[in-house]
Amino acid sequence: MDKTAAPVRDPAGISIDGRVLYCFGQWTVRYLQDLEKSQARLRLPGSADITLDMAGVASIDSGGAWLLLRIVERFEKDGAKVTIASLTPHAAELLDLLKQTGFTRDKLPQLKSAPLLARIGRSAHEGTDYALNMLAFIGAIGRVFLRQLIRPGRIRWRQISDSLAEAGYKALGIVGLLSFLLGIVIAYQGGIQLRQYGASLFIADLVGLSMVRELAPLITAIIIAGRTGSAYTAQIGTMKVTEELDAWRSMGIDPLELLVLPKLLALIIAMPLLTVYADIMGVLGGMVMANSQLDLSFSTYLQRIGEAITLNSYMIGIGKTPVFAAIVATIGCYQGFQVSGSAESVGRRTTVSVVQSIFAVIVVDAIFSVAFSYLGM
Amino acid sequence: MRQAATHKQTVIEVRDLTMRFGQKLVHENINLSVEQGEILAIVGASGSGKSTLLREMVMLQQPSSGSVRVLGQEITRARESEILLTRQRTGVLFQNGALFGGMNVLSNVGTPLREHTRLSDRVIDEIACLKLSLTGLSPADGLLFPNQLSGGMRKRAALARAIALDPELLFLDEPTSGLDPLSADGFDQLILDLKASLGPTIVLVTHDMDSLWQVADMVILLGEARLIANGTMNELAGSKEPAVKRFFQGPRGRAAQASA
Ligand SMILES: Nc1ncnc2c1ncn2[C@@H]1O[C@H](COP(=O)(O)OP(=O)(O)OP(=O)(O)O)[C@@H](O)[C@H]1O
Ligand SMILES: [Mg+2]
Repeated sequence: MDKTAAPVRDPAGISIDGRVLYCFGQWTVRYLQDLEKSQARLRLPGSADITLDMAGVASIDSGGAWLLLRIVERFEKDGAKVTIASLTPHAAELLDLLKQTGFTRDKLPQLKSAPLLARIGRSAHEGTDYALNMLAFIGAIGRVFLRQLIRPGRIRWRQISDSLAEAGYKALGIVGLLSFLLGIVIAYQGGIQLRQYGASLFIADLVGLSMVRELAPLITAIIIAGRTGSAYTAQIGTMKVTEELDAWRSMGIDPLELLVLPKLLALIIAMPLLTVYADIMGVLGGMVMANSQLDLSFSTYLQRIGEAITLNSYMIGIGKTPVFAAIVATIGCYQGFQVSGSAESVGRRTTVSVVQSIFAVIVVDAIFSVAFSYLGM
Repeated sequence: MRQAATHKQTVIEVRDLTMRFGQKLVHENINLSVEQGEILAIVGASGSGKSTLLREMVMLQQPSSGSVRVLGQEITRARESEILLTRQRTGVLFQNGALFGGMNVLSNVGTPLREHTRLSDRVIDEIACLKLSLTGLSPADGLLFPNQLSGGMRKRAALARAIALDPELLFLDEPTSGLDPLSADGFDQLILDLKASLGPTIVLVTHDMDSLWQVADMVILLGEARLIANGTMNELAGSKEPAVKRFFQGPRGRAAQASA
């Protein structure tokens, strides 16, 4: 607090003189803390009748009045008869008002915290619940999708194209820049090793294959999870808090159809396209680095790239991306629907959404790699 | 009825206040003053700028021009650090409650106490419960979260939070809207009780004609982007000015007057 602006005031206190307790100072919430601690140590001079003299009290607010009531209550429990003297009319009104509420200390509600075992059980239960709800959510999306396939007139092209612009077009900058930088980094790290063996030309193989097969799809999915998945969660979550989702439902419009499906479809379209773009930018990044570090000319590099990247590798890289898109969009939307009540919950769910999407994308990517190596691709 | 103060201070003084959002003029050249312990009601049609005027007085909205003095301090051009103390001496009830969603009602009400005093958690919770009881909620409701409350309960909880520090100056934006008639009457009584015991100065926005008759010392009517009328409820109800008559002489206005 600003010390210069606030005049120095006496804190609230009580001094005992025989059977009279003299109260003094400011009995207001800002000056009560000392009295609150010391009043517990106040001892009665025998269990006799006592008087609380309020004449020295400069001002009193409801906090002070409450403390006064507490003190009186404690003395009365010890068997004393307490009179409060020299109350101002205002203070008397205040005491009356507080007494009228009928609130006493024992009515303070207590939060019950569950025992450890119950909490472990509950969190395990929540885990299985989560998996089941997620499955149900995917099923519901599938149902809405089929319904739309049967009646294509209900497909929401407008929402899809809006989402495409938002998740695809507007992500070009960041995806391009990061892939380009990634290409540079790989070429730099690989170039140092390859030069020692006189195999500088193979820098094209290194950059091309690693970008196209693995890194471009992965970095795109991670950027989209952080950029778009989180936005989906926050948007749907906020709409849940403000009851907008209920408003749509009450008009007979399924939020899954209006919000989720267009986002999902848009992302499934956008992600492969973004990945193609990331492929190109990554290869270009490698080219710039190869040129300046290894003195490899652009044309040699590009020619070698054409030989190194087979159609097979390229398609494997692109083929994974719709799966990544589906993961990011589904988790993002699902977490949005899981928001309950508060703004804080929106923040928490958004974090969960990003972490889970990235986790799932990397796990699925690993599964793909294992599967492809079995198939010898 | 009023406190026997030796000299009554002016708590709020608004001079030539004008507010524009872009091209849109909300109000122009508003002048008013509120004295200590007085209850001022702001009335006017929806969209006439009542909430905006309130926001300017609680230092949340910078006016386009003019000056506002609150508790003896000019706030329109003050820095945030300078008005901190003034903020602590005022309580605000927002039109839609604005309870903190991440904490339960008890913590919501206790927050100003926790931030600005050094009392123990136990006593803070007790004082918070007291305030809840004052506004007509039960202590057990304190454990609920804002999204588990009904609209009227939310209003009460928000009021309890607004009066947590026993503010000298209390701003209430439509405190009785969303309350059932009985609770609204109870609310008027609570205002009068608070006034008798703690004597805060109160500025309230309301559409509730009964409230106006029960609690308001002074009433100002906003409309046509200006202050149309200013006076006691009796003066405004007897006014001959057409705009004022239209507002107070409708069926509801007359019914409230008859029962007052
Ligand atoms: N941030 C803003 N930007 C632009 N215009 C605004 C903004 N806030 C309010 N307005 C406009 O100012 C006018 C007054 O709004 P205000 O909320 O003060 O009305 P009100 O009198 O409180 O109405 P109600 O009784 O419905 O609550 C309205 O026309 C509103 O559109
Ligand atoms: Mg308003």
